[in-house]
Order: sequence, then C-alpha cells, then structure tokens
Amino acid sequence: MNNKEISIQLKNVSKSFKTYNKSYQTIKDRLLNLHKKNEVKNILAVKSLNLEIYKGECIGVIGRNGSGKSTLTKVMSGAFLPDKGGKVMKNGTSLLLNLGVGFSHELTARENIYVNGSTLGLRIQQIDEIFNDVIEFAELEGFIDTKIKYFSSGMIQRLSFSIAIYAKADILFLDEVFAVGDEKFQKKATEVLERNWLENRTAIIVSHSAFLVEKYCNRTILMHKGVLLYFGDTKKAMEKYRALD
Amino acid sequence: MITDNILTANRLERIWLLAKIEFKLRYYESKLGLLWALIKPLTNLVIYFIAFKIVMRSNIPDFEIYLFSGLIIWDFFIESTTGLTLILQTKRYLYEYSNMSKIEIYLASMISVSLGLGFNFIILLIFLLFGDIGIGLNVLYLPLVFLVVFVFSFGVALILSNIFILAKDIHQIWPLASHLMMWISPLFFKTTDLTGSLPGIEHINPMFGIMSNFRNVTLYNIQPDFYLLGINSIQAIIVFTIGYFLLKKIGKKASELL
Repeated sequence: MNNKEISIQLKNVSKSFKTYNKSYQTIKDRLLNLHKKNEVKNILAVKSLNLEIYKGECIGVIGRNGSGKSTLTKVMSGAFLPDKGGKVMKNGTSLLLNLGVGFSHELTARENIYVNGSTLGLRIQQIDEIFNDVIEFAELEGFIDTKIKYFSSGMIQRLSFSIAIYAKADILFLDEVFAVGDEKFQKKATEVLERNWLENRTAIIVSHSAFLVEKYCNRTILMHKGVLLYFGDTKKAMEKYRALD
Repeated sequence: MITDNILTANRLERIWLLAKIEFKLRYYESKLGLLWALIKPLTNLVIYFIAFKIVMRSNIPDFEIYLFSGLIIWDFFIESTTGLTLILQTKRYLYEYSNMSKIEIYLASMISVSLGLGFNFIILLIFLLFGDIGIGLNVLYLPLVFLVVFVFSFGVALILSNIFILAKDIHQIWPLASHLMMWISPLFFKTTDLTGSLPGIEHINPMFGIMSNFRNVTLYNIQPDFYLLGINSIQAIIVFTIGYFLLKKIGKKASELL
C-alpha cells in the first residue's frame, strides 16, 4: 500500500469526563447548593493518542471492558469532542453503527431510511434507488411503514446494518454490531465483509470476537486502561491482548 | 464548486424532509389529523372570547378576529420555543452519529412549526373574507413581520434548549415566564390600553410589536409601525446571536452532557 491516503488522523487526542460528587441538574439545585463545594473527579478515558488510518483499511479495536474502545470510536466518529489540544481529522462521511442508534423510534422504517440516508449525504433520489435493497437485506418487507419502536432489537440492528451497507459512507464504525441478531443474519453480515462493498471504504470494527478481528482486520488497535497499547499487525495485537492479565 | 452544490442541495432536501416528517408526526398521527392544528387556537378563542367579550365586555371591534389573529402568532411563538426546548434531547439521534449540524435540526423544526402557522393563517384569511373585513395590499408586508417573529422565536428556542442541557427545570420555568409575556402583550388588550397602563412595554416585550404589526398588515390593512418593527428586528437579532453563541459553547457538548 503505497500512496496511502489518510482516512482518519488523530493527533494528541485525549478524552476525559468530569464526574461530580453530586450532580446539579436544575436551577433550583444550583441555587440551593451555591455555597457547597462540589468535588470534581476527572476520569481520563482515552490518553494522548496519535494514530493514522488509511483509506480502505479494515481496523480492529480490541481491549477489555472499560478500556476506552467505545470512547475512542465515539471520538473518531465525531460524537464526542476530544479534549483541548487534540485534533481529529476525517476524510469523508462517516457512520457509527451500534445497535440501532441514529434512529428515531417514533418514525417508521421508511422514514428512518430516508432520514438516515440523507444525513449520510445521499440525495432523496439516490435513496429511492437503494430503498428496496435496504429493506430486502434487512428482511423487513412486511414492516416498512411500522414505527420502529415496535421492532425487536434484532430488527432495528438489521435495518441500521443494511442502511450502512447501501448508504456507502466513506468511513464505517462498527461497534459490536456482529454481537446480536440471529445466527442467520450474523452470517449474512459477516459475509458482507468478504464481498467487495468495503472496497475503498474504511471500516473500524470494535469487537470482542477474536475470530472476526483476526479474519478481517489487517491492523488492530489494542486499548488498555485508556492507553493505546499497540497498533499494528492483528496477530501481534491479539497475542498482546491475550497476554494481558 | 460542484460538490458544494451537491452538499447544499442535500442539506436543503434533508431540512425539508425532516420538517415534513415532523409536521406529519404532529398532526397526522391522531384521528383528527390536521384539525388538531385548528382545535387549539379555536378552543382558546372560545375561552378568551367568553372571558373578555362576554364577561369583561371588551370594546375592541371584531374582537373574535382580533383575538384569533393574535392567537395564531402567539401559538407560533409558544410552539417553537416550548416545543424546541427539548430538541437536543429528542433529536439526539440526528446529530450524535452523523455529520448533520445542529442548526439544521433546529431549522427543520422551525419550518415545521411555520407550516402550522401557514395553515392557521389560511383559516384567518377565511375569517377575514367572510367577516367582511377583507384583505388589503398591506398584507405584502407580512413576510417582513413573519421574518422578525421567526428569527426571534428561533433565538429564544436556541437559548432555552441550550440552558436545558445545564438546567432541566427550564422546561418548567419557561411556561411561567412566557405566560407573563402573554399577559403583557396585546393578545386580548388594545395596544393603547396596554401602553397607557404599562408605559414602555412596547420596548420590553418583543411580542408586543410583532403582534400589533401582524394585525396592522392583515386586519387593518395599514402599514406596519416601522419604528417598532425596527426595534423588534434588533431584538430578534440580539436574541438569535446569544442563542447561536450558546449553541456553539454549550450545545457542542450536548451528546455528552445529556
């Protein structure tokens, strides 16, 4: 891979969350507690991270629970802003996929496809063209005009996965999306990874499934306690991951 | 340039799509459909008519139309401000995982509320024509008056929804504050009565000028009060600027804080 075009670049990215001893959510609370001191705890979920991901790469993200995987993907996708001094550069449209977020439960499957497709930068006409394929892949033929609040979690997940495939976002963040859905759909979803729809697109796969990461990702990020422990060859990353206590 | 055009076209399509869906959700879901849009101002009309015309014997001519025209502008203000207070929470699915900017989400909702106003305005036109008042050429000033109330309401909505991130009870406080605004507006009163007993009120409550200018151009077929229109425009721009500033400061962290 010469001529590598950068897809995502992180420079000195940290992400911390402030947790307060007591949380004041209302004006009343704030006024009544003006004189009291509120202890602030800073939790550093991701520590000064630098990395570059190139176009067309399939990157795995592994690590124990609470290691900062999901925070990292949220920072990369733009849902979270990095702390001061950090910079996230993305080249192209991105879609973060994790269990049906990005949908409104008050809307029907049809409306969600249009809204979601449109936020991904598609024209209405383009969505018209892919509409039937999306429904067919998601196996939701009978539920097009049903509000998705009546859907099972598996159905919602199938729908968002299907949109992601056909909507052709440049960068896909797949956060544990292969974990649910029935066996048949899981198979179908992983098959998609083999087909050429990923071509020229960047995928970041967060997964606990060693099999999946080893099979499809050429490079892997290993997170441990908010620190990027290793980023490179998937096999080595897996070895290091297994060696963690 | 070409990609710019495509991006803009996509953005406009998206705003319109969201506005349409929201409008549909608001009115078409219920059995009565679009009638709901009408029931609210009509119910208020009946209540206030009884209170002010029958009981208090208001001497404003054509009081029912005076009241109705005020109500639809007032409803627009309330629907857009109260209705958008929770927007960063309810429309979270739109901005959290995509490239859509928050201001577009607000704009879509504002357009959706405007569609409701448009519908009510048609009813007002019917009232005017059948009430033998008619409609004059000064209605051409209407877009100007509408623009001011649109920007002002947009600004208030921005401010409220961003305060909501930090203080959830703004959702309870705002209805009270807006209630006060209603009673010091010319919704039921003559503008001259109001300025007589509360001197300077026309400078304090932006809805004063907006409402009276709306009536000037629709009901009375006279030019808007340009002095008040100017003051309201400045107020609208200031409020909008503050709201936009808050969105940039607080709103950008909405997905973490909510």
